[in-house]
Amino acid sequence: MNRAFRWLALCCLAFSTQYPAIAADKEPIVVGSVLDETGALNVYGKAMADATKLAVKSINDAGGLLGRPLKLVTYDAQSDNAKYTSYANQLALRDHASVIMGGITSASREAIRPVADRNKTLYFYNEQYEGGVCDKNVFLTGIVPSQQIAPLVDWAIKNGKKKFYVVAADYNYGHISTDWVKQYVTKAGGSVVGAEFIPLDVSEFSSVISKLQEAKPDVVLSLLVGGNHIAFYRQFASAGLSSRMQIVSATFGLGNEQVVLGPKEASGIVVAFPYVQEDSSEDNRKFRAAWTKAYGANYPYITDSAAAVWNGWHLWALAVTKAGSTDREKVIKALESGVSFDGPSGKVTVDGPTHHVVQNVHIARANENHGFTVIGEEKSVPPSYEQSVCDLVARPNTAKQFTPSAKAN
Amino acid sequence: MRLIGCAVVALVALALGFAMPEFATFQATNWALFGLLAVSLTLVWGHGGIFSFGQGAFFGIGAYAYSVAAMNILPVTNETVSSVVVAALAAAALAALVGYFIFYGNVGDVYVGIITLAMTLVLFTVLSSTADPKYHIGEAQLGGYNGISGVPPITLPFGESGTTLTVVQSYSTVILVCASIVAGLYVLLHRPFGRVLTALRQNELRTQLLAFDVRFRKLVVFTIGGAIAGIAGAFYAAWAMFISPVVFGLALAAQVVIWVLVGGRASFAGAFIGTLLVQSLSFALGGGAGDATPIVLGVVLIAVVLFLPSGIVPALARFLVAKRTSGSAGSAAADASVPQEQRFAELPFRSESGGATLSATGLEKRFGGVRAVQTATVSFGQKGVHCLIGPNGAGKSTFFNLLVGRFPPNRGAIELDGRPITHMNSHDRVRNGLGIKLQVASIFTELPVRENLWLAAYGRRRDEAVADLRSAEMLDWLALAHRADDSAGSLSHGQKQWLEIGMVMAAEPSVVLLDEPTAGMTREETARMAAMVRLLGQSVSVIVVEHDMEFVRALDVPVTVFHQGNVFASGSLEELRRDERILDIYLGRQGHGHVA
Amino acid sequence: MEASSLGWFLNMAVSVGLSIAILVLVSLGLSVLFGMMGIINLAHGEFLMFGAFGTLAGVRGGLPLPVAMLVSTLAVAVFGWIVERALIRFLYGRLMDSMLATWGLSLIMSQGAVFVFGATTQGIATPGGSIYLGGYSVSAYSVVLILAALSLLAFVYAVFTRTKYGVMARAAVQRPQMASAVGIDPRHINSLTFMFGAALAGAAGALLAPMVGVMPTMGEAYIARAFMTVVVGGSGVLTGTAAASALLGGVENVVSYLFTPFLGQAALLVLAICLVRVLPTGISGRLRRKL
Repeated sequence: MNRAFRWLALCCLAFSTQYPAIAADKEPIVVGSVLDETGALNVYGKAMADATKLAVKSINDAGGLLGRPLKLVTYDAQSDNAKYTSYANQLALRDHASVIMGGITSASREAIRPVADRNKTLYFYNEQYEGGVCDKNVFLTGIVPSQQIAPLVDWAIKNGKKKFYVVAADYNYGHISTDWVKQYVTKAGGSVVGAEFIPLDVSEFSSVISKLQEAKPDVVLSLLVGGNHIAFYRQFASAGLSSRMQIVSATFGLGNEQVVLGPKEASGIVVAFPYVQEDSSEDNRKFRAAWTKAYGANYPYITDSAAAVWNGWHLWALAVTKAGSTDREKVIKALESGVSFDGPSGKVTVDGPTHHVVQNVHIARANENHGFTVIGEEKSVPPSYEQSVCDLVARPNTAKQFTPSAKAN
Repeated sequence: MRLIGCAVVALVALALGFAMPEFATFQATNWALFGLLAVSLTLVWGHGGIFSFGQGAFFGIGAYAYSVAAMNILPVTNETVSSVVVAALAAAALAALVGYFIFYGNVGDVYVGIITLAMTLVLFTVLSSTADPKYHIGEAQLGGYNGISGVPPITLPFGESGTTLTVVQSYSTVILVCASIVAGLYVLLHRPFGRVLTALRQNELRTQLLAFDVRFRKLVVFTIGGAIAGIAGAFYAAWAMFISPVVFGLALAAQVVIWVLVGGRASFAGAFIGTLLVQSLSFALGGGAGDATPIVLGVVLIAVVLFLPSGIVPALARFLVAKRTSGSAGSAAADASVPQEQRFAELPFRSESGGATLSATGLEKRFGGVRAVQTATVSFGQKGVHCLIGPNGAGKSTFFNLLVGRFPPNRGAIELDGRPITHMNSHDRVRNGLGIKLQVASIFTELPVRENLWLAAYGRRRDEAVADLRSAEMLDWLALAHRADDSAGSLSHGQKQWLEIGMVMAAEPSVVLLDEPTAGMTREETARMAAMVRLLGQSVSVIVVEHDMEFVRALDVPVTVFHQGNVFASGSLEELRRDERILDIYLGRQGHGHVA
Repeated sequence: MEASSLGWFLNMAVSVGLSIAILVLVSLGLSVLFGMMGIINLAHGEFLMFGAFGTLAGVRGGLPLPVAMLVSTLAVAVFGWIVERALIRFLYGRLMDSMLATWGLSLIMSQGAVFVFGATTQGIATPGGSIYLGGYSVSAYSVVLILAALSLLAFVYAVFTRTKYGVMARAAVQRPQMASAVGIDPRHINSLTFMFGAALAGAAGALLAPMVGVMPTMGEAYIARAFMTVVVGGSGVLTGTAAASALLGGVENVVSYLFTPFLGQAALLVLAICLVRVLPTGISGRLRRKL
């Protein structure tokens, strides 16, 4: 019996820590964010979390929404996927958030999605990913391959480089993006002479570098992700290949690779992102001023993911204002009607049927100062693949992720 | 008793499920499932002594199996209960396979941890690469790193397309499943299986020498542990409606170990408490501690190791429950007595075995370049005592170990009662009638004296009632009845030797092998041992390896002398004492037709 | 320049040699602790990470690279001594507890590094440029690393056979009671041994820093493989580590080259499982080598 009472006491103790100090006040609008601020993904998560706080603050400074301030509840998922399910549920059921923004890896997004859907809480995923998600309850502001790969490939072909070798991270994003690369390269008149998939925890690339030297491509298209993969660029440069092969990448810079690498290792790498910190637009200048004021001048780099988060919050805020309410159905309808936001990367517009965004894509080259130099821009690039498979206005009951190979077969 | 406690806790938890707000119930379901996963490790490690780093793998297999099965079966049967069963079976099958690989390959402790860790990492690597749409099982895309989304929650086969359980209903189901499993485990551990398991964990060799198939038992425990983890995994996938390869990672594998260590290694209550504490701590921290979360967790872990090394539940137990006197300080010093001689008129019970012949033919054993035993040929009669003597390094111990089955001979054969046992392992030999007492008393020091004898009797008869009877008879005969409930480790050295003899006898052997049974005994004890051995020799064959010449003389039985790995001579002690060559051997002299 | 078969062969040799060298470097420290003290140090990757960051700090402070590496290694050694005195010395003989405590330590160390250095830090470029081997170019630093690994093995051998500490440490491992009976203080030896193991981990991190991206979480990628190498190698610190690294590293590299890196990883894991099954005391145990 002692044992039972001990159990009881401990259970009560543990559960009591979960009862909220009831912030039951109806005044503020509660909004939620779940990101990885500690653990292996903190490289991505930190800038995104900072952008979250800044975005909510800027909305509040401008008077809030519908006359009410936003109350931000954030959770750190500690790079632990299981926590995403828990925290998303918490935000929906305990905190009664009007919107959940969060998730970094696609796995974390897929963990949040069913919870958000079941609890009927609106969900924004603000991060570059492999594309194809089609879910009435979800909006995605990150860039997708159908927007990003084409400009990148076009730049290479235009500059006379037709033989591509793809080096990709060995997981969904890497594989799907590689399929896109093959499609676009062929369409643009080039050829893919090889593709190598590297598991995420590999940091030693000598066998890949050997194969590159045998295949002799003009351009290496990198879809490498994560801290361990930074070593590729370092080892590529130290093997003396920088002068012989051009690197273009859809992922270089997301994890501050250009900060970690030295000027000789990084410079020359060409990337394509909606947001590049060095962009000289007026909106970006204001954005950077606000960021510097909040986080200091020594901030490593404002990543594209951070900008996507910023866009996400403001798009939602605009939709709420347009709908005149935080009710999920109304906000979704407002978003689908084509809300537009002039952000630091240029004009960002929600594409109603696909729940993705039409946005600008900047081509940039890594420079000698741990940053990038903008060398080109494509305006208002639509998510073409998503538009071809997903129409949530006509078919609102869809809730899945489309992938190109499935479609092709 | 424990089952009642279990039921009470389950009822309280169920009640809480209805009282708590829904978000808390949802989260509690997760913690209960992780607790069940921890229970699987507690069973396998705390009770089975197997350090498995791979419980996360069985959890993951269960989760994936459920997901794949549910996505395929649900449209057909409108329920997912069958998918849970599929998950349990899949996890159990993997555990059985891996367990066979490990236990029948005689892999040692730490290495079991490594193999199970490597197995889980292999699964992680494999499942992470299933991103391509061609990797699908029926309707379910494996999804690679992104995992499987849209996993159906638990659905019962009522209504048109099945009824999905609500959050509270799922929680209640999980609580009931956990309680049933834990209750089942309590029952299992209370039965002979559990008692043998406890013994196995403490002294694997002695357990084997009591005719228990240690490898098979470990395999059974490991498989059950795998099945439990698989069930937890199935419910987990249903809870999150999502599963990804991350469950096969190092992080979860380590976390399970942490939960069990924090709660108390052998306690099922501890499994839940440890999980609850660690997980709720990291959950709470993620909501407010910001960057400091890993640091706080790290400090807590270190604090637990340094200040609560056996875990929280045992510490609480020591604190809250009065100590039971386990017969140490008080009675130990007082009574080191041994059985009186007059008891050796007859054996404690009528044994069914009537002795058997044991013969060794041409045995040879080499270790590297050294031939410890060379062409040894000896025959022992069906009844009676026989001594093996010889100076140090003569090969007696190696010969003994060959008879025991410690290792196979390089050449030669051994027959027990006419049947060849040359390549049988020890526990099979014991099952066939060999009784073995080792030089260093190998008993279960942490179990009560009574339990030691019970296990020995059960090893032979496999009948609880008979074992109860036999052990009681043995206790009386050994005059250890007053120490029956004391732990065997608290006995004096001589008493331990007696206990071990008693255990050997309780197993009703037909041939008894004794390795230096009087080592460390007083003269009185030695005399009594001689009387006991003579008594035994009247009904079965007893082979004694000895150094103590007083003892050998007191026995007055045929003697075989070993020298440099060979059988040198046989005969009565009187005859041999007159043989100069024997003196040579013992004194290290040359001459007298000495055989090299 | 056309690739010649000699060039291909040399290139492969360097590539395989590099994989093996990295495993040796990363596993040596862990092997010392496991083989000589029976401790499983799950914070091993974090000691490595500290060595890498220390080198970065040294270079940024103006020290030449080799000096920075040396200073960093010594700093990690000192840190190792502190950890041993404060934590590890309570855990000898408690295998599972040492795992739990060092796991906690690893959490503290890696988050601590984030606090001090931030999640993103500027790194150091690989020194040395590239060398041409018949149509292939390889990083000169790869060769340096291979030589460094060999030197480190030789150094460890020298320490254990030629120095007073080394002989005492081996005695204390083989016969602890006898060792203390002849006046060897096991606590003192244990402190030194842990320091040595930590220093080796730090040295590995220092040597790897110019080749990879140095981040607070870089240790995670190495711990599992270091672990397997140590267990496959057995308790003989040198023989075991060298043999296991050669086998596992070589196989992984060759399979990665012939097929895909994923299969290379899988091959390493499967091979490790098979070897542990077949050689339960490791390669050095089978070869009856104590060192």
